[in-house]
Amino acid sequence: MVKIVAGITAAAAVFMLAGWLAFVPSQKEPAYRFVAAWGEKGSSPGQFNDPTGLAVANGELFVADARNGRIQVFDLDGNFRRAFGKTGKQPGELGRPMNLAVHDGELYVAEYFNDRVQIFALDGTPNRIIGETGSGPGQFNAPGGVAVTRDGNLAIADFYNHRVQFLRPDGSFILQLGTTGKTGVGPGRFNYPTDVAITRNGTVFVADGYADRIQAFTSDGRFSHKWGGPLAVNISGPFDGWFAVATSIAIGPKGNIFVADFYNDRIQKFAPDGTFLTAFGETGSKAGQFRHPVAVTVGENGDVFVADFLNNRIQKWRPAD
Amino acid sequence: MNHILRAALSLMIVIGALAPAFAMGQGYRLGVDGLACPFCAYGVEKKLSEIDGVERVETSIKDGAVIVIMNDGAALDETAARQAVQDAGFTLRGFTKLPAGDTGK
Repeated sequence: MVKIVAGITAAAAVFMLAGWLAFVPSQKEPAYRFVAAWGEKGSSPGQFNDPTGLAVANGELFVADARNGRIQVFDLDGNFRRAFGKTGKQPGELGRPMNLAVHDGELYVAEYFNDRVQIFALDGTPNRIIGETGSGPGQFNAPGGVAVTRDGNLAIADFYNHRVQFLRPDGSFILQLGTTGKTGVGPGRFNYPTDVAITRNGTVFVADGYADRIQAFTSDGRFSHKWGGPLAVNISGPFDGWFAVATSIAIGPKGNIFVADFYNDRIQKFAPDGTFLTAFGETGSKAGQFRHPVAVTVGENGDVFVADFLNNRIQKWRPAD
Repeated sequence: MNHILRAALSLMIVIGALAPAFAMGQGYRLGVDGLACPFCAYGVEKKLSEIDGVERVETSIKDGAVIVIMNDGAALDETAARQAVQDAGFTLRGFTKLPAGDTGK
C-alpha cells in the first residue's frame, strides 16, 4: 500500500514538473524599473476617474479618463498639458472612452457607451466619427480598443459582438474575425476581445480579454498563432506567460508585445512569436505596484506607460539598465 | 387682499418649479458578482441604462454593488433587470428595492 501511494505521489510530481516545464516559460530579459507615477481620483486636471486607455504621440501621453468623459494630455514626465471632451453623445463628447490609438496625427478613441470610434486632431478638435450601435457590418456593441494600419484602415475590438472588425478609413466594412455574438476558444474565435495592436509589417495582435490569451493574425485576417496559458484555450493563471484577463495590448519600438494583465497586477512582455520575455509590477498602491493595470502603451524610446485603474494614476516604467 | 393673493400665487409657482428638482425616483440595489473590470462594470451600466424609465446607474467596482435610480414614478422590473445583467455577461445575485429617498450611498 505504501509503495502504491509513493508511486502515485512520484507520478504526480513528475506530471506537475513536466507541466511546469511545458507551460511556464522562464524569464528571458531583466524586469523593468519604476520611474514615476502621477494622478489620484478626482475630476480636476491631472486627476482621474477610471483611466482606461493610453497612447503616445509627439512627446505627449494621451489618457482616456473614462468616467470624466475626457481625454487628458501630459508630457512624458506627467506634467498636465490640456484636456478635451466631456460626457455625452455629440461630436467632441465621449461615452466611456477606452483603449486609444494614434495614427498620422490623429487620436482614435473607442467609445464603449456610444458604440463608435471618434477621431480627433491631437489638439482635441473632433474630426469624424465611425460606426454606430448594432451587430451588422461597421456597427459596434461596446468597442474596447482600436488600432490603425499604415494605410489608415482600422481594426476594432468589438467587445460584446465577440469579434474584431477591419474597416476602411471611411468606416466601410472590409472583414471581420470571429463570429458575431458567439464566444469561442478555438483559433480565430473570441471571448470578449478588449484591444488590438498592429505591427509595422501588418500583423494584427488581439487581446482576447476573457479568453486570457493573445491571438495573432496576418494583415488579411488569417489566423497565425496564439499564446496565454496551456494551449491558449482560456485557462487563466498567475504564472509567467499566463493571463487573468488581458485588457490592453501595445507594440514596442523593437516590435515586442506588451499586455496589461489585469487581475495579475502586472505588465507582461513577449516577442512577436509569443515567447515570454519579462514581466513587471505587483499588487498594491505603492510605487511600482498596481491595482489592476488596465491599459499599456510604449514610447519611442521604450518607456512603458500604464493606466493603474483602481489607483487612478498613470505609471511610467523603463527597461532596466 | 390682492397682495396676499399675489404672494400665494408666487409661492405656488416657485414650489411648482422646484418640485421636479427635489423629486427622487425609486432606487434599487442589484447584486452582481465580478465587477472589478471596467469592461464588466460599464457593460452592466450600459445594458441597465437601456431599460425604459432608468434615470441613472451607478456601479461600485470596489464592493460589486449596482444602484439603479428610476425616473420619478417609474419602477424597475426584476425580469428586465435580470435580462440586462445577463446580456452584460453576468448573473443577477440580488434585487433590493431601496427605501424612498435612499440612493444607496
